[in-house]
Amino acid sequence: MMSKEVNRLHPVSAIISSAKALKSMIFPLIVIIITNGFHFSFNIHSDNFWRTVFLFGIWGVGAILALVSGIVKWRTFVYWFEDGELRVKYGLFVKKKRYIPFERIQSLNYNEGIFHRLFGLVKVQVETAGSKDRKPEVELTAIRKDAADAIELEMRRTKNKTNEQTNDEQMSNEQSLTEEVLAPMIYHMSIRDLLILAITSGGIGVVLSGLAAIISQLSDIIPYEKIFDELADFAKIGVFLVVLTVIFSLIVAWFVSFIITLINYYEYTVRTEDEKLIITKGLLEKKRVTLPLNRIQAIRIVENPLRQLFGFATVVVESAGGNGGEGNDKKIALFPLIQKQDCLETLEQIFPDVNWRPEFIHSPNRARPFFYRIDFVWLVPIIGACSYYFYPYGLLSLLLIPLTILIGNWQHKTAAYMIDGKQLTMQYRVFSRITFFMEKKRIQSIGTTQTYFQKRKNVMSVKATVMSGMTGMTGNVRNLEQQDAETIVSWYEH
Amino acid sequence: MHKISRKGLTVWRLYGVLQTIILLIIAALVCYGTYYFEWPSFIYFIAVVVVILSAILSAYLFPKVRWERWRYEVRESEIEVQHGLFVVKRTLIPMVRVQHVDTTQGPILKKYGLGNISISTAATVHTIPALVMEEADGLRARISELARVAEDDV
Repeated sequence: MMSKEVNRLHPVSAIISSAKALKSMIFPLIVIIITNGFHFSFNIHSDNFWRTVFLFGIWGVGAILALVSGIVKWRTFVYWFEDGELRVKYGLFVKKKRYIPFERIQSLNYNEGIFHRLFGLVKVQVETAGSKDRKPEVELTAIRKDAADAIELEMRRTKNKTNEQTNDEQMSNEQSLTEEVLAPMIYHMSIRDLLILAITSGGIGVVLSGLAAIISQLSDIIPYEKIFDELADFAKIGVFLVVLTVIFSLIVAWFVSFIITLINYYEYTVRTEDEKLIITKGLLEKKRVTLPLNRIQAIRIVENPLRQLFGFATVVVESAGGNGGEGNDKKIALFPLIQKQDCLETLEQIFPDVNWRPEFIHSPNRARPFFYRIDFVWLVPIIGACSYYFYPYGLLSLLLIPLTILIGNWQHKTAAYMIDGKQLTMQYRVFSRITFFMEKKRIQSIGTTQTYFQKRKNVMSVKATVMSGMTGMTGNVRNLEQQDAETIVSWYEH
Repeated sequence: MHKISRKGLTVWRLYGVLQTIILLIIAALVCYGTYYFEWPSFIYFIAVVVVILSAILSAYLFPKVRWERWRYEVRESEIEVQHGLFVVKRTLIPMVRVQHVDTTQGPILKKYGLGNISISTAATVHTIPALVMEEADGLRARISELARVAEDDV
């Protein structure tokens, strides 16, 4: 069945796209104000009156254009279904049309901002295999939820029709599809897990650098001399206060990242449907990301030391495109935080063909020194310099030696691999332990490296790369037995 | 496994010589400046050492080592490359994973009938330097043949 009636976006979308355009106008406004050093006046007798009018006039025209463009986009944007395709048309002077066959659609991602939620709307992003450059193929800024459902329904109907035309093999596939629909909910993050995730969130660094950036941006406004005077007093009071300030700002930064994580990952749920994983999350802004199973290239279980201590892990999925414009990479935290034991069971449920409980072959004992020996190349000069220039206390840098050896030992204990049929599993760590599960047919290339010293001890490092977004993701196990490394290469060869 | 063609070594030497000549010109300018503006005289020394080092390393030693250590093999269903003196790197790329092959050829390479071949998979790029053009064309033809057979989605 084809409906040829034309659908429009919800009027609110005009407001949303205008607001978005206006938001991008704020920064120029700030620049205008700052570069003029606040010399503004709306008093006609003032010297600055005409300049003020001129600058704000230009900015005002820009802002009005932004508003109008939002309205124009809403008025001209139409979409409809025809011939098993989603067709979109927009543009005032230059008309643009885009036809997307439903079979080509990899995922429909939903996004509900605060605006959307007030009116019961969603933003729909249509992604195809081709939409690699972070941009979805088509974006419907705001439509009613039932309209979004209509698209999904239409898509499924078209796909089913093509399935019926193909042979029995496909039919049996479809049966397994219906079986999977019976168990939709795969994972739901409990409040407790959410709190732990937020507490241990590694976003601290990001927030810190953000704060630093803001502070440096504000430096134009903040009066310098005053602060320097105060700084002098500051120094008198002592280092203690400085330390206190640093700690305080760290706590604030941590708290901010805590809140951001809470909001972003609230009600994090994963479901399976039609060979797809559907991830929903968010408190203020609800997101729904669809991830087709056949696009998944490899899976990594990442355990950072802190979380490993409490038996928690993060499961990351490497996908070949289509993750709802989440950002610049295609790495998706499938389970941001999960108990290791549960995680294996859940993964077994989603990917029954993969061996999730590998029996590893470890790096040989004689390879242990290789994990820390190379570090001495840079350690020795640093320690030498520290000890020489800061004589008594600089000697403390000697502590770096046992520390490096300990970490090296730890890395050695982790380094391992397993081959099971068509599956290669690698385990390694820098600090976080990474267990990398990949299928032979997904591996793009395998490489080995061997230094002169490694060769003398018959030790070899192995790398395997799978596709992930634009660049690929490489697993790297260092210092395996040479024979084992060659086993991996020849396994890959045949 | 195959070595890079002997002509490749000549090309790399040529690159090295060109680089040394450019350095020589710069060094000459600097020396002149030193003489004219009476900068400290150790600058002469540095200029001479840099030029001599470049002549030895980039015109003689590096091309030789690189040429001797580079190995590649294009087999029925995979490509293998190996290079490096101190750290030996070996990479295996199955033909079915190859997405496209690029050839780049500067004027010098062209004169010797060579080309640098970049083999791209969905995630990685591997380069074989100074490959004889006929071989490069053959490789390209083979890959496009195999690409039609490959069925697995990346």
